[in-house]
Amino acid sequence: MYAPTDKAWSPYAAGIVIGLLQIPAFLIIETALGTSSSYVTIGGAIASRLDPALSKIDYVARHISDAPKNWWQVALVVGIAIGAFLSMRLSKAVREPISPIWTRALGSPSASRRYAVAFAAGFLMLFGARVADGCTSGHGLSGLAQLAVGSTVAVAAMFAGGIVAAMSLLRRI
Amino acid sequence: MSLILAITVGLLMGIVFGFALEKSRVFEPGMIVGQMQLRNFIMLKVFLTAVATGAVVLAVLNGFGFVKLQPKAAVYAADLIGGLILGAGIALAGACPGTTLAQIGTGYRDGWFTLGGGLCGAVAFSYAQPSLLPFLNAGDGKLIFTDLLGIPFWAGALAWAAIVVLALVVLERLRPWRVEMGRNVDGDFGTPEQKAARASSIVPAE
Repeated sequence: MYAPTDKAWSPYAAGIVIGLLQIPAFLIIETALGTSSSYVTIGGAIASRLDPALSKIDYVARHISDAPKNWWQVALVVGIAIGAFLSMRLSKAVREPISPIWTRALGSPSASRRYAVAFAAGFLMLFGARVADGCTSGHGLSGLAQLAVGSTVAVAAMFAGGIVAAMSLLRRI
Repeated sequence: MSLILAITVGLLMGIVFGFALEKSRVFEPGMIVGQMQLRNFIMLKVFLTAVATGAVVLAVLNGFGFVKLQPKAAVYAADLIGGLILGAGIALAGACPGTTLAQIGTGYRDGWFTLGGGLCGAVAFSYAQPSLLPFLNAGDGKLIFTDLLGIPFWAGALAWAAIVVLALVVLERLRPWRVEMGRNVDGDFGTPEQKAARASSIVPAE
Protein backbone atom coordinates (compact mmCIF):
# COMPACT_ATOMS: atom_id res chain seq x y z
CA MET A 1 0.00 0.00 0.00
CA TYR A 2 2.81 2.38 0.88
CA ALA A 3 5.75 1.79 -1.43
CA PRO A 4 9.12 3.59 -1.25
CA THR A 5 8.61 4.47 -4.93
CA ASP A 6 5.33 6.34 -4.30
CA LYS A 7 5.35 10.08 -5.00
CA ALA A 8 3.34 10.73 -1.84
CA TRP A 9 2.15 8.91 1.26
CA SER A 10 -0.83 9.93 3.30
CA PRO A 11 0.12 12.56 5.88
CA TYR A 12 -1.12 10.16 8.54
CA ALA A 13 1.24 7.32 7.55
CA ALA A 14 4.20 9.71 7.40
CA GLY A 15 3.19 11.33 10.70
CA ILE A 16 3.11 7.95 12.45
CA VAL A 17 6.62 7.14 11.18
CA ILE A 18 7.89 10.50 12.49
CA GLY A 19 6.14 10.05 15.85
CA LEU A 20 7.69 6.58 16.27
CA LEU A 21 11.14 8.19 16.08
CA GLN A 22 10.55 9.28 19.69
CA ILE A 23 11.23 5.64 20.68
CA PRO A 24 14.94 5.57 19.74
CA ALA A 25 15.31 9.24 20.78
CA PHE A 26 14.11 8.60 24.35
CA LEU A 27 15.43 5.04 24.74
CA ILE A 28 18.88 5.33 23.17
CA ILE A 29 19.79 9.03 23.28
CA GLU A 30 17.67 9.94 26.33
CA THR A 31 16.40 13.07 24.65
CA ALA A 32 13.36 14.21 22.68
CA LEU A 33 13.31 14.72 18.93
CA GLY A 34 14.56 18.20 17.98
CA THR A 35 16.53 19.89 15.21
CA SER A 36 17.28 23.55 15.94
CA SER A 37 20.09 23.06 18.52
CA SER A 38 22.19 21.56 15.72
CA TYR A 39 22.37 25.03 14.13
CA VAL A 40 24.08 26.31 17.29
CA THR A 41 26.46 23.34 17.25
CA ILE A 42 27.50 23.84 13.61
CA GLY A 43 27.24 27.64 13.56
CA GLY A 44 29.03 27.90 16.90
CA ALA A 45 31.79 25.48 15.87
CA ILE A 46 32.46 27.43 12.64
CA ALA A 47 32.20 30.92 14.18
CA SER A 48 34.45 29.94 17.12
CA ARG A 49 37.27 29.39 14.64
CA LEU A 50 36.94 32.98 13.49
CA ASP A 51 36.30 34.40 16.95
CA PRO A 52 37.68 32.17 19.73
CA ALA A 53 35.94 34.40 22.32
CA LEU A 54 32.60 32.97 21.19
CA SER A 55 33.48 29.53 22.53
CA LYS A 56 33.92 31.10 26.01
CA ILE A 57 30.19 31.79 26.13
CA ASP A 58 28.76 28.97 28.24
CA TYR A 59 25.77 28.48 25.90
CA VAL A 60 28.08 27.94 22.92
CA ALA A 61 30.54 25.79 24.88
CA ARG A 62 27.64 23.53 25.89
CA HIS A 63 26.47 23.13 22.31
CA ILE A 64 29.84 22.54 20.66
CA SER A 65 31.22 20.14 23.30
CA ASP A 66 31.62 16.50 22.31
CA ALA A 67 28.51 15.50 24.29
CA PRO A 68 26.82 12.69 22.28
CA LYS A 69 23.49 14.59 22.20
CA ASN A 70 25.00 17.53 20.28
CA TRP A 71 26.42 15.43 17.49
CA TRP A 72 23.47 13.04 17.47
CA GLN A 73 21.32 16.02 16.45
CA VAL A 74 23.80 17.18 13.81
CA ALA A 75 23.79 13.63 12.39
CA LEU A 76 19.99 13.67 12.52
CA VAL A 77 19.66 16.76 10.32
CA VAL A 78 22.31 15.45 7.89
CA GLY A 79 20.27 12.23 7.78
CA ILE A 80 17.13 14.24 6.97
CA ALA A 81 18.80 15.55 3.80
CA ILE A 82 19.94 12.03 2.84
CA GLY A 83 16.53 10.48 3.56
CA ALA A 84 14.69 13.13 1.56
CA PHE A 85 17.15 12.69 -1.32
CA LEU A 86 16.63 8.89 -1.32
CA SER A 87 12.85 9.24 -1.22
CA MET A 88 12.90 11.69 -4.12
CA ARG A 89 15.19 9.46 -6.16
CA LEU A 90 13.01 6.40 -5.56
CA SER A 91 9.85 8.25 -6.61
CA LYS A 92 11.66 9.75 -9.64
CA ALA A 93 10.24 13.17 -8.76
CA VAL A 94 11.61 16.06 -10.79
CA ARG A 95 12.00 19.36 -8.96
CA GLU A 96 12.77 22.82 -10.21
CA PRO A 97 15.65 24.58 -8.42
CA ILE A 98 13.12 26.91 -6.75
CA SER A 99 9.52 25.95 -6.03
CA PRO A 100 7.11 27.54 -8.56
CA ILE A 101 5.02 28.97 -5.71
CA TRP A 102 7.67 31.60 -4.95
CA THR A 103 7.11 33.51 -8.17
CA ARG A 104 3.53 34.13 -7.05
CA ALA A 105 4.21 34.47 -3.30
CA LEU A 106 6.98 37.05 -3.81
CA GLY A 107 5.45 38.67 -6.90
CA SER A 108 8.68 38.15 -8.85
CA PRO A 109 10.46 35.31 -10.66
CA SER A 110 13.86 36.66 -9.54
CA ALA A 111 16.05 33.95 -8.01
CA SER A 112 18.24 36.47 -6.20
CA ARG A 113 15.20 38.00 -4.51
CA ARG A 114 14.14 34.52 -3.38
CA TYR A 115 17.64 33.78 -2.07
CA ALA A 116 17.68 37.04 -0.09
CA VAL A 117 14.27 36.31 1.43
CA ALA A 118 15.33 32.73 2.24
CA PHE A 119 18.47 33.95 4.01
CA ALA A 120 16.56 36.52 6.07
CA ALA A 121 13.86 33.95 6.84
CA GLY A 122 16.44 31.40 7.97
CA PHE A 123 17.96 34.01 10.26
CA LEU A 124 14.59 34.85 11.85
CA MET A 125 13.69 31.18 12.12
CA LEU A 126 16.77 30.18 14.10
CA PHE A 127 16.98 33.37 16.15
CA GLY A 128 13.34 32.86 17.17
CA ALA A 129 13.82 29.14 17.75
CA ARG A 130 16.75 29.79 20.08
CA VAL A 131 14.87 32.50 22.01
CA ALA A 132 11.98 30.04 22.46
CA ASP A 133 14.46 27.18 23.09
CA GLY A 134 12.94 24.95 20.43
CA CYS A 135 11.38 24.71 16.99
CA THR A 136 8.61 22.81 15.22
CA SER A 137 10.34 19.58 16.28
CA GLY A 138 11.51 20.28 19.83
CA HIS A 139 8.54 22.34 21.01
CA GLY A 140 6.09 21.08 18.42
CA LEU A 141 6.45 17.32 17.98
CA SER A 142 8.15 16.61 21.30
CA GLY A 143 6.74 19.33 23.55
CA LEU A 144 3.11 18.72 22.59
CA ALA A 145 3.56 14.93 22.90
CA GLN A 146 4.80 15.51 26.47
CA LEU A 147 1.96 17.94 27.30
CA ALA A 148 4.51 20.63 28.10
CA VAL A 149 2.87 23.94 29.06
CA GLY A 150 5.61 26.21 27.68
CA SER A 151 5.74 24.28 24.38
CA THR A 152 2.00 24.78 23.93
CA VAL A 153 2.51 28.55 24.19
CA ALA A 154 5.46 28.36 21.77
CA VAL A 155 3.54 26.32 19.17
CA ALA A 156 0.52 28.64 19.33
CA ALA A 157 2.86 31.62 18.85
CA MET A 158 4.63 29.85 15.95
CA PHE A 159 1.40 29.35 14.03
CA ALA A 160 0.20 32.88 14.91
CA GLY A 161 3.48 34.42 13.69
CA GLY A 162 3.46 32.22 10.59
CA ILE A 163 -0.13 33.05 9.66
CA VAL A 164 0.35 36.80 10.14
CA ALA A 165 3.59 36.81 8.09
CA ALA A 166 2.18 34.62 5.31
CA MET A 167 -0.99 36.71 5.04
CA SER A 168 0.65 40.14 5.24
CA LEU A 169 4.11 39.73 3.66
CA LEU A 170 3.44 37.09 0.98
CA ARG A 171 0.91 37.13 -1.84
CA ARG A 172 -1.68 34.38 -1.95
CA ILE A 173 -0.23 31.28 -3.60
CA MET B 1 27.05 6.26 25.30
CA SER B 2 29.82 6.73 22.79
CA LEU B 3 29.91 9.55 20.29
CA ILE B 4 30.14 7.10 17.38
CA LEU B 5 26.99 5.30 18.46
CA ALA B 6 25.13 8.60 18.91
CA ILE B 7 26.13 9.75 15.43
CA THR B 8 25.20 6.42 13.84
CA VAL B 9 21.80 6.40 15.55
CA GLY B 10 21.29 10.05 14.56
CA LEU B 11 22.08 9.38 10.91
CA LEU B 12 19.74 6.38 10.73
CA MET B 13 16.93 8.25 12.49
CA GLY B 14 17.49 11.25 10.24
CA ILE B 15 17.25 9.13 7.11
CA VAL B 16 13.88 7.77 8.28
CA PHE B 17 12.78 11.30 9.27
CA GLY B 18 13.80 12.79 5.91
CA PHE B 19 12.21 9.93 4.00
CA ALA B 20 8.89 10.47 5.81
CA LEU B 21 9.07 14.26 5.36
CA GLU B 22 9.60 13.82 1.62
CA LYS B 23 6.86 11.20 1.22
CA SER B 24 4.36 13.33 3.16
CA ARG B 25 5.27 16.31 0.93
CA VAL B 26 5.20 18.52 4.04
CA PHE B 27 8.69 19.87 3.30
CA GLU B 28 7.41 21.57 0.11
CA PRO B 29 7.28 25.39 0.34
CA GLY B 30 3.83 25.11 -1.27
CA MET B 31 2.61 23.04 1.67
CA ILE B 32 4.09 25.25 4.39
CA VAL B 33 3.12 28.61 2.88
CA GLY B 34 -0.27 27.06 2.01
CA GLN B 35 -0.72 26.03 5.64
CA MET B 36 0.14 29.49 6.92
CA GLN B 37 -2.30 31.02 4.42
CA LEU B 38 -4.89 28.52 5.68
CA ARG B 39 -5.55 26.99 2.29
CA ASN B 40 -3.75 23.66 2.74
CA PHE B 41 -3.68 21.52 5.87
CA ILE B 42 -1.08 18.84 5.05
CA MET B 43 1.39 20.36 7.52
CA LEU B 44 -1.13 20.28 10.37
CA LYS B 45 -2.11 16.69 9.48
CA VAL B 46 1.48 15.38 9.51
CA PHE B 47 2.33 17.42 12.59
CA LEU B 48 -0.68 16.39 14.69
CA THR B 49 -0.37 12.73 13.66
CA ALA B 50 3.26 12.74 14.81
CA VAL B 51 2.25 14.48 18.07
CA ALA B 52 -0.49 11.89 18.77
CA THR B 53 1.87 9.00 17.92
CA GLY B 54 4.55 10.48 20.15
CA ALA B 55 2.06 10.93 23.00
CA VAL B 56 1.02 7.24 22.81
CA VAL B 57 4.67 6.13 22.60
CA LEU B 58 5.58 8.21 25.65
CA ALA B 59 2.46 7.14 27.58
CA VAL B 60 3.73 3.55 27.23
CA LEU B 61 7.47 4.17 27.71
CA ASN B 62 7.00 6.55 30.63
CA GLY B 63 3.98 4.73 32.08
CA PHE B 64 6.00 1.50 32.42
CA GLY B 65 8.97 3.43 33.74
CA PHE B 66 11.36 2.86 30.82
CA VAL B 67 12.08 6.54 30.21
CA LYS B 68 12.01 9.91 31.93
CA LEU B 69 10.16 12.78 30.26
CA GLN B 70 12.30 15.60 28.86
CA PRO B 71 9.99 18.63 28.70
CA LYS B 72 11.45 22.08 28.14
CA ALA B 73 11.07 24.71 30.86
CA ALA B 74 8.03 26.95 30.54
CA VAL B 75 9.29 30.51 29.97
CA TYR B 76 6.17 32.20 28.68
CA ALA B 77 7.59 35.50 27.40
CA ALA B 78 10.47 33.75 25.61
CA ASP B 79 8.16 31.02 24.26
CA LEU B 80 5.74 33.65 22.98
CA ILE B 81 8.22 36.10 21.44
CA GLY B 82 10.57 33.41 20.14
CA GLY B 83 7.62 31.48 18.74
CA LEU B 84 6.28 34.55 16.88
CA ILE B 85 9.69 35.29 15.29
CA LEU B 86 10.21 31.61 14.45
CA GLY B 87 6.74 31.42 12.88
CA ALA B 88 7.37 34.47 10.69
CA GLY B 89 10.65 32.87 9.59
CA ILE B 90 8.92 29.58 8.77
CA ALA B 91 6.35 31.34 6.57
CA LEU B 92 8.98 33.32 4.64
CA ALA B 93 11.37 30.36 4.37
CA GLY B 94 8.59 27.96 3.42
CA ALA B 95 10.42 25.59 5.74
CA CYS B 96 11.19 24.83 9.36
CA PRO B 97 14.68 24.20 10.75
CA GLY B 98 14.34 20.45 10.07
CA THR B 99 12.59 20.57 6.67
CA THR B 100 15.21 23.03 5.40
CA LEU B 101 17.55 20.04 5.21
CA ALA B 102 14.91 18.01 3.35
CA GLN B 103 14.67 20.86 0.81
CA ILE B 104 18.43 20.76 0.35
CA GLY B 105 18.34 16.98 -0.07
CA THR B 106 15.73 17.24 -2.80
CA GLY B 107 17.65 19.91 -4.67
CA TYR B 108 15.93 23.17 -3.77
CA ARG B 109 18.69 25.77 -4.11
CA ASP B 110 17.07 28.37 -1.89
CA GLY B 111 17.29 25.81 0.94
CA TRP B 112 21.03 26.51 1.12
CA PHE B 113 20.31 30.19 1.73
CA THR B 114 17.78 29.31 4.44
CA LEU B 115 20.45 27.10 6.04
CA GLY B 116 23.07 29.87 5.83
CA GLY B 117 20.67 32.41 7.33
CA GLY B 118 19.78 29.89 10.03
CA LEU B 119 23.41 29.32 11.01
CA CYS B 120 23.94 33.11 11.19
CA GLY B 121 20.76 33.49 13.26
CA ALA B 122 21.95 30.81 15.68
CA VAL B 123 25.36 32.50 16.02
CA ALA B 124 23.76 35.95 16.45
CA PHE B 125 21.59 34.53 19.22
CA SER B 126 24.65 32.93 20.83
CA TYR B 127 26.35 36.34 21.07
CA ALA B 128 23.19 37.86 22.56
CA GLN B 129 22.42 34.94 24.89
CA PRO B 130 24.42 36.08 27.96
CA SER B 131 22.65 39.47 28.02
CA LEU B 132 19.25 37.84 27.40
CA LEU B 133 19.72 35.38 30.27
CA PRO B 134 17.45 37.11 32.84
CA PHE B 135 14.66 37.08 30.23
CA LEU B 136 15.34 33.49 29.12
CA ASN B 137 15.54 32.08 32.65
CA ALA B 138 12.37 33.61 34.12
CA GLY B 139 9.87 30.80 34.14
CA ASP B 140 7.89 28.06 35.77
CA GLY B 141 10.40 25.27 35.19
CA LYS B 142 9.52 22.01 33.47
CA LEU B 143 5.77 22.23 33.75
CA ILE B 144 3.43 19.67 32.14
CA PHE B 145 -0.37 19.78 32.02
CA THR B 146 -0.90 16.42 33.75
CA ASP B 147 1.00 17.68 36.80
CA LEU B 148 -1.25 20.74 36.91
CA LEU B 149 -4.29 18.45 36.75
CA GLY B 150 -2.84 16.00 39.25
CA ILE B 151 -3.29 12.95 36.99
CA PRO B 152 -0.68 10.42 35.77
CA PHE B 153 1.13 11.40 32.57
CA TRP B 154 0.14 8.22 30.73
CA ALA B 155 -3.57 8.88 31.29
CA GLY B 156 -3.33 12.49 30.15
CA ALA B 157 -1.18 11.59 27.15
CA LEU B 158 -3.63 8.90 25.97
CA ALA B 159 -6.57 11.29 26.39
CA TRP B 160 -4.68 14.01 24.48
CA ALA B 161 -3.84 11.54 21.68
CA ALA B 162 -7.52 10.58 21.45
CA ILE B 163 -8.57 14.25 21.16
CA VAL B 164 -5.95 14.87 18.45
CA VAL B 165 -7.06 11.79 16.47
CA LEU B 166 -10.68 12.95 16.68
CA ALA B 167 -9.68 16.40 15.40
CA LEU B 168 -7.77 14.75 12.52
CA VAL B 169 -10.80 12.62 11.57
CA VAL B 170 -12.92 15.78 11.36
CA LEU B 171 -10.21 17.63 9.42
CA GLU B 172 -9.89 14.77 6.92
CA ARG B 173 -13.68 14.77 6.42
CA LEU B 174 -13.57 18.49 5.64
CA ARG B 175 -10.34 18.47 3.62
CA PRO B 176 -9.36 15.05 2.18
CA TRP B 177 -5.57 14.94 1.88
CA ARG B 178 -5.53 13.78 -1.73
CA VAL B 179 -7.14 16.99 -2.98
CA GLU B 180 -4.52 19.06 -1.14
CA MET B 181 -1.54 17.61 -3.00
CA GLY B 182 -1.57 19.82 -6.10
CA ARG B 183 -0.64 19.02 -9.68
CA ASN B 184 2.95 18.06 -8.99
CA VAL B 185 2.33 16.81 -5.39
CA ASP B 186 4.01 20.00 -4.13
CA GLY B 187 1.02 21.98 -2.91
CA ASP B 188 1.17 24.15 -6.04
CA PHE B 189 -2.22 24.72 -7.63
CA GLY B 190 -1.02 27.24 -10.20
CA THR B 191 -2.37 30.71 -10.86
CA PRO B 192 -6.05 31.46 -10.13
CA GLU B 193 -6.77 31.06 -13.86
CA GLN B 194 -5.08 27.66 -14.01
CA LYS B 195 -6.91 26.67 -10.85
CA ALA B 196 -10.27 27.62 -12.36
CA ALA B 197 -9.45 25.75 -15.58
CA ARG B 198 -8.52 22.65 -13.61
CA ALA B 199 -11.66 22.82 -11.52
CA SER B 200 -13.89 23.09 -14.58
CA SER B 201 -12.10 20.23 -16.35
CA ILE B 202 -12.67 17.98 -13.32
CA VAL B 203 -16.44 18.56 -13.38
CA PRO B 204 -17.87 15.49 -15.12
CA ALA B 205 -19.81 16.10 -18.31
CA GLU B 206 -23.56 15.63 -17.91
